[in-house]
Amino acid sequence: MAHIPDGVVSIPVLAAGAAVTLAGCGLGLRRLPPEAVPRVAVLSAVFFVASLVHLPAGVSSVHLILNGLMGITLGVAAFPAILVALLLQAVLFGFGGLVVLGVNVMNMAVPAVLAGALFTVLNRPGDGRRAALAGGVSAAVAVAATALMVALSLALSGQEFLPAAKLLGLTYVPVLVVETVFTAAAVGLVARVRPGLLGGKP
Amino acid sequence: MSARPLLVAGGRGPSLLDRLDPRTRVLAAAAFALAVVLAGGLAAPAGAVAVAVVLAGLARLDARRTLGRMLALEGFMLLALALLPFTTPGVPVAEFAGLPVTAEGLRRAAAIMLKANAVVLATLALAGAMEVVDLGHALARLGAPQRFVVLFLFTVRYIEVLDREYRRLRLAMRARAFRMRAGLHCWRSIGMLFGMLMVTSAERAERIHAAMRLRGFDGRFHIADDRRPGPLDWGFGAAHCLALLALAAVDLA
Amino acid sequence: MSDPLIRLDGVSFAHEDGRPVLDSVDFTLAAGERVALTGPNGAGKTTLLHLMVGLLRPAAGRVVAFGGERRVERDFHEVRAKAGLLFQDSDDQLFCPTVAEDVAFGPLNLGRSRAEAAAIVAATLGRVGLAGFEGRITHRLSGGEKRLVALAAVLAMDPLALLLDEPSNGLDDDARARLLDILDALPQAMVIVSHDRDFLDRLATRRVRMAQGRLIG
Repeated sequence: MAHIPDGVVSIPVLAAGAAVTLAGCGLGLRRLPPEAVPRVAVLSAVFFVASLVHLPAGVSSVHLILNGLMGITLGVAAFPAILVALLLQAVLFGFGGLVVLGVNVMNMAVPAVLAGALFTVLNRPGDGRRAALAGGVSAAVAVAATALMVALSLALSGQEFLPAAKLLGLTYVPVLVVETVFTAAAVGLVARVRPGLLGGKP
Repeated sequence: MSARPLLVAGGRGPSLLDRLDPRTRVLAAAAFALAVVLAGGLAAPAGAVAVAVVLAGLARLDARRTLGRMLALEGFMLLALALLPFTTPGVPVAEFAGLPVTAEGLRRAAAIMLKANAVVLATLALAGAMEVVDLGHALARLGAPQRFVVLFLFTVRYIEVLDREYRRLRLAMRARAFRMRAGLHCWRSIGMLFGMLMVTSAERAERIHAAMRLRGFDGRFHIADDRRPGPLDWGFGAAHCLALLALAAVDLA
Repeated sequence: MSDPLIRLDGVSFAHEDGRPVLDSVDFTLAAGERVALTGPNGAGKTTLLHLMVGLLRPAAGRVVAFGGERRVERDFHEVRAKAGLLFQDSDDQLFCPTVAEDVAFGPLNLGRSRAEAAAIVAATLGRVGLAGFEGRITHRLSGGEKRLVALAAVLAMDPLALLLDEPSNGLDDDARARLLDILDALPQAMVIVSHDRDFLDRLATRRVRMAQGRLIG
């Protein structure tokens, strides 16, 4: 839901996206011990499957972004996990471009890490309802931040995108609503059954 | 269960491109995308679409499915493209709903459409129409960090397994009269389904890690792949580079 | 008679929440034996197998395997090379992208060279009737093929004993018959956890039954 295609974004924005994504992935991979690889990979596979589900919203349907949930469970490892997901989507389904991959990963992963941090602040271990609430809020913040970053990526690429960038937030409202409810439910369940998965320790 | 596999290679059978070293295909896709992004005007992007169509033919991509993928643009991109003819400063050539439409704006929107679709088509042909596992191996041999490649291949390994589990759970929900209808109940139910999937997957990850320990896993992964580029790779690479150079020449002319 | 390959002396085990699983179990596996381990779901059969290879540690009792008592993680490294555990769900066991990489994973970890590992892969796949499967993508295999590849991955480490956790579970008749023939021709000692009566009738040389955390003859 945040795939900018190739040919839109200007060279400085492309460079910034690539740099942030490289740094984030480097950090995420360095903090990923070999024994955690199966868990991060299997969860990434879950998120990949979830991102392909069409959820009905009003008259149309939305694909989830899931970066909030990824940040809550994977922490900084959300960076490489999102790179894997977006690379697969670009190559297999033609979602987004190749050169713009760095920007797209940045726009999803930076909010993911933020949401993960926000969740640890809001969450109270042992309280399932509180966890669900914290998960929902973090997911909403992640989606809003992604919308903002996509808007910025466009606005910084050319004056002519400015009006579109200002209106762009509106197209994210349905995803934000669905994703908040979805994440609250998912986090609420995980908090009750297996709280160790939350908190972003890969 | 009649689930179509998620990770199918896009081609319709053995093609010329399948005889290439996967690394050649990855490098060709990257070079193509870079060249298209850097191109200006309309002629070079149009030429790029032509090159991409040739590549799609070589990869024997399924025409209908590929077209569907190329035309799918997300809401925010439709908005951005639709506004460009009005928001790009320049010579007004027409009027729509009382607002001036500029030639520059139309050209900008057309260039974006051409570039975006050229890259999507070439990427699907070069990198999409091969085994994802080969793509992972190619990335490893092109110098991608081992941890990243291991994460990539591991994720690819379990996507189909989890997709099957998701379908099983959805079927069980349908058997209890659940329907996908917009609303809190639906979004919450699917959220809980995926919460459950996360929990069972974490348990599966523990079993996988146990299986790895049983076979002496010591923190190192071994990635095996020993294909070598042959004359076909050099020939294809040369032709591809010539095509990209021709695009650059069109751009500069 | 020589020493048993694996011996459990008075082994007990409980869940983290304190629920007991095994209560002072004695068990031996001798060379050439094929022991059928039966019992209701939740009786502790899988737990027993996991204790033998050190995936779990007993709360009380001793694990003696391949000539020595095994207590800490390091002790079990040798055990795991000599006792191959076949998981219930092959998707848990096969995590590599291709068949060749998966079967080679164990031998490479045991210090074999790539060339040696490749030879072991070819030979082992031949033994389970999957010659030429090296380049196949694991997630594209059928359930029966996955089970045989998982068996090959275990056999590639050249174990003395096989611990089989519901080996025929989820297989169709053909795949099951194929697996049965292959197992029947193997020289290794085996512990077979199964609910599949015909399967056990054909393979087992001895039977033990578990109920409520205890072994009954």
